[in-house]
Amino acid sequence: MSYWTEVRPREDFYRVLDPDGSPIRDPPDVDEGTLRRMYWAFVRSRAFDEKALRLQRRGEISIHAASVGEEAVPIGTAAALEPGDWCFPTYRQTAAMVYWDASLAKAFAGLMGTEPETTAEHLDEEGEPAVNFSPPYVPLTVNVTNAVGSAMADRFNDRDTVTMSYVGDGSTSEGDFHEALNFAGVFEAPAVTICHNNQWAISVPTHRQTAAETFAQKAEAHGVPHDRVDGNDVLAVYEKTREAVDRARGGEGPTLLECVTYRMVDHNTADEDSVYRDETELERWAELDPVDRFEAYLRAEGVLDDEAASRVAEEAEAAVDEAVAAARAVPESDPQRMFDHHLHGESWTERHQRAELRRELAGENPFVDFDGEGFE
Amino acid sequence: MSRGDAAADVASDTESWNVVEAVRETLGQEMRRDDSVRLLGYDMGPIGGVYRATEGLYEEFGADRVIDTPLSEGGILGTAVGMAVRGERVVPEIQFMGFFYPAFGQFMYSLVKLHERSGGGLELPMTVRVPYGGGIKSSEYHSESTETYFAHTPGVRVVCPSTPAQTKGLLAASIRHPDPVMFLEPKKIYRGEREAVPTDEYVLPIDEARVVREGEDVTVLTWGAMLRHAETAADRVDADVEIIDLVSLSPLDVETVLDSVKRTGRCVVLHEARRTLGLGAELSALVNEYALDHLHAPIKRATGFDVHFPGHQTEDAYLPDAERAEHAIKAVMSYEF
Ligand SMILES: Cc1ncc(C[n+]2csc(CCOP(=O)(O)OP(=O)(O)O)c2C)c(N)n1
Repeated sequence: MSYWTEVRPREDFYRVLDPDGSPIRDPPDVDEGTLRRMYWAFVRSRAFDEKALRLQRRGEISIHAASVGEEAVPIGTAAALEPGDWCFPTYRQTAAMVYWDASLAKAFAGLMGTEPETTAEHLDEEGEPAVNFSPPYVPLTVNVTNAVGSAMADRFNDRDTVTMSYVGDGSTSEGDFHEALNFAGVFEAPAVTICHNNQWAISVPTHRQTAAETFAQKAEAHGVPHDRVDGNDVLAVYEKTREAVDRARGGEGPTLLECVTYRMVDHNTADEDSVYRDETELERWAELDPVDRFEAYLRAEGVLDDEAASRVAEEAEAAVDEAVAAARAVPESDPQRMFDHHLHGESWTERHQRAELRRELAGENPFVDFDGEGFE
Repeated sequence: MSRGDAAADVASDTESWNVVEAVRETLGQEMRRDDSVRLLGYDMGPIGGVYRATEGLYEEFGADRVIDTPLSEGGILGTAVGMAVRGERVVPEIQFMGFFYPAFGQFMYSLVKLHERSGGGLELPMTVRVPYGGGIKSSEYHSESTETYFAHTPGVRVVCPSTPAQTKGLLAASIRHPDPVMFLEPKKIYRGEREAVPTDEYVLPIDEARVVREGEDVTVLTWGAMLRHAETAADRVDADVEIIDLVSLSPLDVETVLDSVKRTGRCVVLHEARRTLGLGAELSALVNEYALDHLHAPIKRATGFDVHFPGHQTEDAYLPDAERAEHAIKAVMSYEF
């Protein structure tokens, strides 16, 4: 039975909690508030994903990529950051944004396809999270290079801010990934790059992605320190990220962290994972579910009991419902919004095309300007 | 019968296919007839591509002919060029046109250049399949229509089908052609629209525009998924509309375009790409340079706007449709120099 898709499946990663939640070494120093916050983020992120998948099925949103099964990575890493740090996420780090209290309503509104301007305008009373998040990137690996640049800017200005970015295992095959790590190494950038090795890039298993034994070791060639952790163990992820973040903040440069985890759902709502992976794999990984593991630990530690767990769950449901309601209350984007925020200042072309669209929407013929003056 | 009318020229059984099925059947057919044809791209294995355009081929031809690659557009294009240099007939797939950019260096530095750079000594017989276009309400970078970047570049052909039967003949011809071809697949019409496609092998000219409908009053130049909007608009307006499906976006079949516009004296270009420096700009310039005396009205471009492809609540307002085409036709019909 195969449940790692790698060439040489190895559990040679750093782990704090056994799959059943019992510590196999001293857990990192995490205060109880942070532990609760992590759990809270797990539950909220799952509630968010479940809701988004339901909305997709009802046609309210067109496509969603969920992070079910992988949440220990965004949560453990995000918890290692400090207010003022920067994050350049892709599409599987909702839980990181949840951890830092980013607006769920804005996330839903984005999925509903409103223009960002409309969302910002109608949900602008929501506070910004204490960690700075760039808009999530859709093109892969571009964020990693940008994150290294962000980190370089901090280094040049003697700021002790840290920049974190995330990629999937598949994305480590893109040129940008190597360019980013190379720059990070050369310029000793305070950049922490997190690789979610969730075993698959859509239908491509990790052994098709690389002949290297681990994704972490890809950093070796760039002179960047690297580590490999159990990505379903939030405490291990936290501990190793914290070390990397502290090193970066202390002026000791970048780190690549590979977090070995598993995508327990389809790649996105347009995907059908049953075509390329078998059920036994999922069953095996379901036993390693990061939420169950962490929950068992918290219960054993007396940080969580039934009552607290159901309170967190109820609050998450309520928060998600409220966020959906707020997102639904954002009006449909005025089509004119598509012209916003391209360039500062004005141009003939933009004025003209705006006028054309206005006329078209009013049922008039937008093409009757024959001298370029009619629409001024 | 108009030129390039696929089904008409071939006496053979037909099957009802949509565009994506036509792609799949043609790839299989070409791989069976020529062992040097290899497909290359990610998600091509068991899943058969995210659009299922290569479904079944991995099973039929194995991993050395349907090469499921790492996630790397630059890697795909660069290695494809290397294979082509060594005599393979490579058909790389870039999953979405919006993700072509990481491959742009390879495109500019090698794909479009090596034939000329070697004084004609090196051949690059490859067909890069690129699903493109909007109207599918997907996320960012999944709806791009940036064919201008390719058409602006010498050394590569840009071909775009608009029907299933055409897809088969054009894709087969592209694969067999000695030039590199960017083969743009309008994914808005991947499914849904079917027609009877001859099952026997046939090829269509990849450098000729197709006169879809003959008319005397106004010429509409278009391609890909916009063709059907041109046809609907032509049915609605009170004018005898000639519709030309460009098919070859680079090089352009200028003769067919000019012949038509010289006859009709009026011209509309309909494309979903942004307007500024979209192909409409080039077509309009050509008509102005070589057919000005025949024009009765300025050329109008019914296009997308000069913005990043918008969110899906707004994309219908961005994309041209039959109504926008109709307005443009009416506007040029209303004018007389
Ligand atoms: C440059 C680029 N190429 C292709 C895509 C389409 N795409 C989106 S996600 C994905 C798979 C990514 O796999 P991986 O990096 O392992 O991340 P995961 O989805 O597993 O989190 C692909 C091919 C894209 N978004 N950007």
